[in-house]
Amino acid sequence: MGKEKPLMYFFMALVALFFLAPFVWLILSSVNPQADIRFKLPSSITFDHYSKILTGRTFAWIMNSSIISLASATLATLLSILASYSLTRYKFKGRGALVDFFVMLRLMPVMVIMLPVMMIFARMGLLDTLLGVILLETALELPFSVMIGSSYFETIPTDFEEAAMIDGCNRFMAFLKVTLPLSLPGLVTIWLLAFVTAWGDFLVPLFLLRTPDKFPVSVGIYMVFGEHGRVNYGLLSALSMIYSIPVLVVFLIMRKYLTRGIAGLAIR
Amino acid sequence: MRLRSGQLGIIILTPTLLVMLALVVFPTLWGVVMSMTNISLVGRGAVHPRFVGLANYVKLLRDSRFYHSLWVTMFFTIFSALIGQVVLGLALALLLRKKDVKGRNVIALAVFVSWVIPEVVAGYMWGSYASREGLLNLLIKALRLDVIGLEPTNWLFYRPLETITIANIWRGTAFSMILFSAALESIPEFLYEASSLDGATSWDKFRYITLPLLAPAILTDLILITIWTFGVFTMPFIMTGGGPGNKSELWTIYIYRQALLPPYEIGYAAAAATLMFLLTLLLIVAYMAVLKKGWG
Repeated sequence: MGKEKPLMYFFMALVALFFLAPFVWLILSSVNPQADIRFKLPSSITFDHYSKILTGRTFAWIMNSSIISLASATLATLLSILASYSLTRYKFKGRGALVDFFVMLRLMPVMVIMLPVMMIFARMGLLDTLLGVILLETALELPFSVMIGSSYFETIPTDFEEAAMIDGCNRFMAFLKVTLPLSLPGLVTIWLLAFVTAWGDFLVPLFLLRTPDKFPVSVGIYMVFGEHGRVNYGLLSALSMIYSIPVLVVFLIMRKYLTRGIAGLAIR
Repeated sequence: MRLRSGQLGIIILTPTLLVMLALVVFPTLWGVVMSMTNISLVGRGAVHPRFVGLANYVKLLRDSRFYHSLWVTMFFTIFSALIGQVVLGLALALLLRKKDVKGRNVIALAVFVSWVIPEVVAGYMWGSYASREGLLNLLIKALRLDVIGLEPTNWLFYRPLETITIANIWRGTAFSMILFSAALESIPEFLYEASSLDGATSWDKFRYITLPLLAPAILTDLILITIWTFGVFTMPFIMTGGGPGNKSELWTIYIYRQALLPPYEIGYAAAAATLMFLLTLLLIVAYMAVLKKGWG
């Protein structure tokens, strides 16, 4: 064992460097008054970039991202409650095929549908509208939301609902008063994961939006980064930092949960 | 209750199904229809698209740029996912298992954060990291990596495909690491203890206990990350946009550029997207067959 230890720490140092080094420039340039694409240690530190984000077009982008994510996460959660309840509480023909169908949709690359959706939305007047983006984000979040919802409802025994129904509740009231409160952690999980999915997405708004005022942060960063000439890297880095925070918070809270979900794939 | 319970189940499922049918299933089929027309964003095809049969597919199969994008996608998938993420993910999972190693939680966290930060941010920071005067080149100089043949360069310009491939290892390793960690947890400790008594070396244990018992998890991992890596668009797109020229043009970037850059041939790009759909479908069916069969 003695020989392995130094080698292992050497490997760990390399891995740490590989994974951490790309973050350094982003963090430094967000507080560097003279930020540049080049890597340089800042001679002084400023928080001006951060305060400027909340004005002008960057603020509009943050608002757009918020609207898209809040609306689509809420829609996806509501729809997936109904669908998951149906898939776990009712027996009907084709139920197994439906579950397979959701897995299939979850795995399909989004690029496959982007061109047809763009053309269909153009005809319906949904192109270049936040509503169009919200609808498609909702549809893309749904398969995963339904999977999470189903796995939660499965853990809640039907006994409680049945007891409530014997006590005179109808099925809807039994669901509302018994199952829904019990599955609240699951619903929060669905909502949060749907929120960060839409928040981080780039492909959908890239295809569906044209007007810079309607861009979410992801497309905004791309547009500014792609503008040749004088890119304000300090501002862009600060925006990237702020933009990453909601995602990091949600995923760090959900880390255990996600790990368990992936473990479910490994052990069958 | 007036409704039979099965019917109610279908009724409350309907809104979700309608959304999925309208926004995912129908567009997929509509994409197949579009792929048989000359529809475009500008010009005659924009006003009066015509049915052209399989002409787009015939043209696609003669398009060297399309083949190039397939080759780029293959390279990207094989080296970043099948080799990079699997090998590094497995090495990290084995490392995380060693309870007496300090700092392993920090590493696990760094790998996890690389996986979850928004793709656009990841692409943006890698864009600086790999640039001519970026930190990567400073590290190469500081660590004297020229002795193994690594010279500082403008990575995104001179080595775009290799750079997006390595960036994708950075991006995606967490999934394999977590999957393998879970699979390792399920291997009973007594197998290792028993083999120690029989005089097995560390390598023997890895080769004859860990690897065979990990095989199902490795298969699951391989299929899933292949499907995901096929569909990767954002991070490489932010880093290189497929360029310079079409040097790092993945399949997805090819579709985007065909449709949204001149000559705006949407029908033609839809044909490429349809092929992508069919190939991924094949992989997904394989994955689901593996899942259904179970591991015995």
